[in-house]
Amino acid sequence: MMQSASGGTLRCGGRIRGVLAMAALAVLAACGHGNQPVSSASGSGAVGYVRMDELVHKHPLYDQLAHYERSIDAFDLTSTAPQVVASDPEMRKREALLQKQLNDAADRTQKLLAQKQQEYQLQESAAIAAALRSAGIGGPSAAQIAGNVNTTARQQQTGVAQQAQRDLTTYRNTLQKQDQAQINAAQKALTDRADRSYRAKADELQSKESALSLKLANDDAAQRLALRTKLSSLALDDAAREEAQKQLTAIDRKEADALAAQRNRDQQTLAALQAQLHDQVQSDLNAQVAAIRQRSLSSLAQRQTSLAKQITTTNIGGPVVQTTVVGGRPQQQLNPNLPPALRTRIEQLHSDYQKRFQSDAKTTIADFQKTRGDLARRYAQLHGISASSNQSTGAQIASLRKKHDQLYDQITAQIDREVRLIAQQRGISVVLTNIVAPAGGVDLTPDALKDIESLHE
Amino acid sequence: MNNPITRGRAAALAFALVAGILATPAIGATDVTDIGALDQQALAALPQFQAANRQLNDYGNGLRNSYLKRAKHASQADQQRMAGEFQQKMADRQRQLFGPLFGKAQAAIASVASSKNLSVVVDKRIVVFGGQDITGAVRDLLSGPGDPVPPVASPAPSNVGYVDQAAIDQTPKVKAATDEFVKFKADQDKATQDRLKTAKTDADRDTILKDYRKTLDDHQNTTLKPVVDSTRAAISEVAKKKGLILVVDKGNIVFGGTDITKDTTDKLK
Repeated sequence: MMQSASGGTLRCGGRIRGVLAMAALAVLAACGHGNQPVSSASGSGAVGYVRMDELVHKHPLYDQLAHYERSIDAFDLTSTAPQVVASDPEMRKREALLQKQLNDAADRTQKLLAQKQQEYQLQESAAIAAALRSAGIGGPSAAQIAGNVNTTARQQQTGVAQQAQRDLTTYRNTLQKQDQAQINAAQKALTDRADRSYRAKADELQSKESALSLKLANDDAAQRLALRTKLSSLALDDAAREEAQKQLTAIDRKEADALAAQRNRDQQTLAALQAQLHDQVQSDLNAQVAAIRQRSLSSLAQRQTSLAKQITTTNIGGPVVQTTVVGGRPQQQLNPNLPPALRTRIEQLHSDYQKRFQSDAKTTIADFQKTRGDLARRYAQLHGISASSNQSTGAQIASLRKKHDQLYDQITAQIDREVRLIAQQRGISVVLTNIVAPAGGVDLTPDALKDIESLHE
Repeated sequence: MNNPITRGRAAALAFALVAGILATPAIGATDVTDIGALDQQALAALPQFQAANRQLNDYGNGLRNSYLKRAKHASQADQQRMAGEFQQKMADRQRQLFGPLFGKAQAAIASVASSKNLSVVVDKRIVVFGGQDITGAVRDLLSGPGDPVPPVASPAPSNVGYVDQAAIDQTPKVKAATDEFVKFKADQDKATQDRLKTAKTDADRDTILKDYRKTLDDHQNTTLKPVVDSTRAAISEVAKKKGLILVVDKGNIVFGGTDITKDTTDKLK
């Protein structure tokens, strides 16, 4: 609880008052006091006050309250932890790198295909020129041209294969890194979830123990008070004093035993829960790791198949169609002077090339688009894990705050009872708390502190 | 009757009675107070407040959706401007819906306070004991037919003072100390977040959080507490000069009371 600068503290211990009407009703307070003439008059009865914070700090259940506050702190401070997975700069870098690599690879492949197409066209032109020369126009022989074409094609094929292999290796490495990142994220999310479940159960049990402790103390309060009163009597003889002391000790022991028994049961419950959560985390993690690896293997196999096909389809021999320039524009056409068998073959090769080429291009682009889509989905899954963790964290904080406020109310209710008794004994008509500054009122805090401290005994 | 022994016994008896009464002042003082208490939550539960609340919520939801749609493709500057508009519209609507209700509630509180000779009515949450709870009477008045009639006379001078903590928090020394602490806390939050990432067990985590709390408490004691103490002393001094018994925050005063905010802020400057 943070003090305001003028020293006041909120009695409700930081409770969120979300009810709009309540916020609005506070305006009542603002419009309720006009400028009053300064008064030296006093009310009729004596007015006392208590510093509730001090009393709460001395209450036997304050440790439990502080525990809740620390747990809330922990969730508040670590609620960003799952987001680390999503906003981890390394993760973002890897994601960006991966996208860049894939985009580069796609560009390279497309360039290769474009280059290949251009070269094929040139080779086809050369082949047609060679065919024309062999028909009497001159130039290199058909065998020479075919040799050149084959050499060029082999070079292209080798280049494409090497590039494809490099792409595949890069892709595999990237996938491995992504797998590891996903596994780490999944592991963290699962562990966090188990941790939250365990802590929630521990808090719940601790809360019940506190309630039990309070109930036992309240149940025995009258008897304990009577015995204390008896013990404070000077007229009590030794035997009676000893008897009263024994009874008091017996009450304390009875309460302590009941509480200890409850704690033992709770410890067993927690131990069982821990084992169960551990098994659950392991099982879930194994399933997720298997799924992640299966996805990666599938993606890699698909990619490998696709690249292999690409390499295979590029190994298709030499030029097929003549490209001529008509009216300043290149045109592909078959030379009508070619022998029919050659023409048929050229037509067939040209058709095959076109189909394979288009298929290659489509396959390559589709492959990279699919990979990008796959990555986007996987990152979305990672973000999804993070988002669900955050929601869960929010719920945990709300639950803890509720428990904290309930315990705080229990504590202040008990303090109120003690303070009322003191006020009545001392003839105070009104006792207020949340005092910004005392001026002449009666401070009942020291008396109340004594009573609260006696609850520890 | 004139026996001196009898007279002595009578005198002793009279003394004992007087002493007895003096020794139990609660008997005579419990009901004598001009401090009233009001459970504001109970008033908020009245049907007219609930209905206004629902209307405000519905209005807020509609407005929010509309702004979210508009803000989706807006620049940051435009988004800020829209957020300002949103808040202004909500505040206007709130005033429109709750203003008349507040007026009635305030009249009812003043009327009841006047009839019970109360000089101040505080929020029930800060009352541990005693005081006159006027919640029922105010609720009855608000639930009855017709509007409550406010009293003609202003409330009697009260020996309970109040300050507006928000105004005091804005005085230079207090603001500087608070800002410094907020910055310190932000740094500690970040450092603790980093430390928590290295925690292997619950015990580690608990230790880190205890350290965190202790660091904040220590720093609060060295930076904020002196300012808090001097502020409190200034308020007490002003209050004593004006014959007040104690001072509470303005937010806890529902009606009446003596405002010493200006005297205090003047003193703190």
